[in-house]
Amino acid sequence: MTIKDKHRLRLPFSAIVEKVEELDEHHKLFTINVEENLLKYKPGQFVMVGLPGIGEAPISITSAPLSSNDSIKLCIRSVGRLTEALHSTEAGSRVTVRGPFGNGFDMEKFRGKDVVIVAAGLGLAPLRSLIDTIRTDKRRYGNVVLLIGARNPASLLYKDIIEEWRKEGKIDVRITVDVAESGWDGHVGVITTLFKEDLYIDPTEAIAAVVGPPVVYRFVIDELLRLGLFERNIFLSLERRMRCGLGKCGHCQINGLYLCQDGPVLSYHDVRKLKEAI
Amino acid sequence: MKLALNHKDLLPFIEFLGKDHALVAPVEDSGRYIFRSLEDTADITTEYKQTPLPPVKFIYPDKEPILKFDLSDDKHAESVIEAPSQALLLLRPCDINAISIMDEVLSEEPSDLNYIERRKNTLIVGFECATPCRENALCFDKGTHNAKSGFDIYLTEINGKYFAEVNGEKGEKVAEASGFFNRALSEDRVALDNRRIEREEKFEEVLSGNTDELSTLLEGAYDNELWEKSSKKCVSCGACNIVCPTCYCYDVTDEVDITTNHCTRTRHWDGCQLRNFTSVATGETFRKSKSARLRHRVLKKEVYLKERFGRSGCVGCGRCIDHCMAKISIIDIYNDVFEDKGQN
Repeated sequence: MTIKDKHRLRLPFSAIVEKVEELDEHHKLFTINVEENLLKYKPGQFVMVGLPGIGEAPISITSAPLSSNDSIKLCIRSVGRLTEALHSTEAGSRVTVRGPFGNGFDMEKFRGKDVVIVAAGLGLAPLRSLIDTIRTDKRRYGNVVLLIGARNPASLLYKDIIEEWRKEGKIDVRITVDVAESGWDGHVGVITTLFKEDLYIDPTEAIAAVVGPPVVYRFVIDELLRLGLFERNIFLSLERRMRCGLGKCGHCQINGLYLCQDGPVLSYHDVRKLKEAI
Repeated sequence: MKLALNHKDLLPFIEFLGKDHALVAPVEDSGRYIFRSLEDTADITTEYKQTPLPPVKFIYPDKEPILKFDLSDDKHAESVIEAPSQALLLLRPCDINAISIMDEVLSEEPSDLNYIERRKNTLIVGFECATPCRENALCFDKGTHNAKSGFDIYLTEINGKYFAEVNGEKGEKVAEASGFFNRALSEDRVALDNRRIEREEKFEEVLSGNTDELSTLLEGAYDNELWEKSSKKCVSCGACNIVCPTCYCYDVTDEVDITTNHCTRTRHWDGCQLRNFTSVATGETFRKSKSARLRHRVLKKEVYLKERFGRSGCVGCGRCIDHCMAKISIIDIYNDVFEDKGQN
């Protein structure tokens, strides 16, 4: 690691917000102009986004690598002090960015395989990076099925984009909501109910990527194992309170791992050995 | 390099170091001993009892600015590294071993630049304790009552003078430049060996098992009721984290100055025993119970650091025992797992 790299990870880069799009009441999509180093990321990696005076928070990158030569996209839920402040920023203002951090998804493992992507709630934000990476190069992957779960139709993230994916037909998109509202004619039930129908995958070869709130992991993993997927082929992205990104401050530690460096993407095979993980 | 220093030359040597180092030494203060900036070399004592805070805190301070932002312009960030030249004096072996663990942990890439720069500019002069300092110390069991590295100069009292082991270029340079050190004579080496043999006799084991087995036993005791039992009285104050010479977890806070043109990001110690240490913005706390937090502290030292660096992260100084309001003792915890092993 060069001195420049060492500084890059600890020194926030002052970046211009190019565009802010409101997705719904709680979520905004930020397009942020960044330097070249920050563009070399993998699906599943995250950056530390900050506003000096308020602080920093770990946010996963929702855009796909190479999708732009000067910006990254971040889908941010307004939930804490920093994210609330970020929601009040407008195009043209500045934020700080450090990273990219973490391991991300190893795309080599996905190539040539059937893929099951399970996105619950805000889990679709990091997974969009993976989905777009696969879509732009679909011939290199097998059958790809995307299972999306939301609490209710209103909280369904990326509605328009999902519709585009559906129309494009490269990936098999299936959606469910826990609770329906009037006007919803889709599937109703928790995300595991989507596993009742045939996913058209070869389970012993398939790779799964699962991101969602902690509570869904166990149930979704049970379904994937029941289908016949191998523990080594199931990848999860975990959430913790990353602060430094350097594997030092201790907040994201899960047993012996520092999630900011050794994760956030871990195979279920490894997660199972970590008693604190899920 | 093996040298010797006459008793009468210790203070003059320290004064010599004071010319281009800020001096930090153990001094008596309100009936106890603490490490602090030395104003007068006469305040120094070689016979001190253990200090509440370990000397490593002068390399890894409780609060330290790490970044500065220019808010007037474009939020441009600059790295802040304060690394004054300093000499930490008369450190005990346990504290020297702790610093050598911190060196290893904080040098792992991506390394902690603030620590590394401070460490580079820190000279460490050790002073071997003659006897165990108190009953809460488990240094003898841990083998950390001896220091083999982590110091620049290490003094041991022998026959009216100090035997001086000098480690590396930094120590050799100051020893030579000071002019106070002589080459150690063969009789000095014999005296050192004899003193060390006698010293070993004065220490006693406080643990009932082999410390090499600790990591395996503790991992095996992950779901044991011992954590629940031991943490019952814990008040989650984090004192054990603060006094530990190998705790390095931190948090950061931003402070904007009164002109609102500048912001300083400061890192300050944090502790895994505090309730909100693992809380995330959505409200989830990943280590909710006191028992899970206590287990994490112990396993971090004995299992996780050992997996990563091949050595235990606990130097057995016993400070976490002395300063625990709930009287939770790491010695009891270790002995509990040794006892469990005996029963199974």
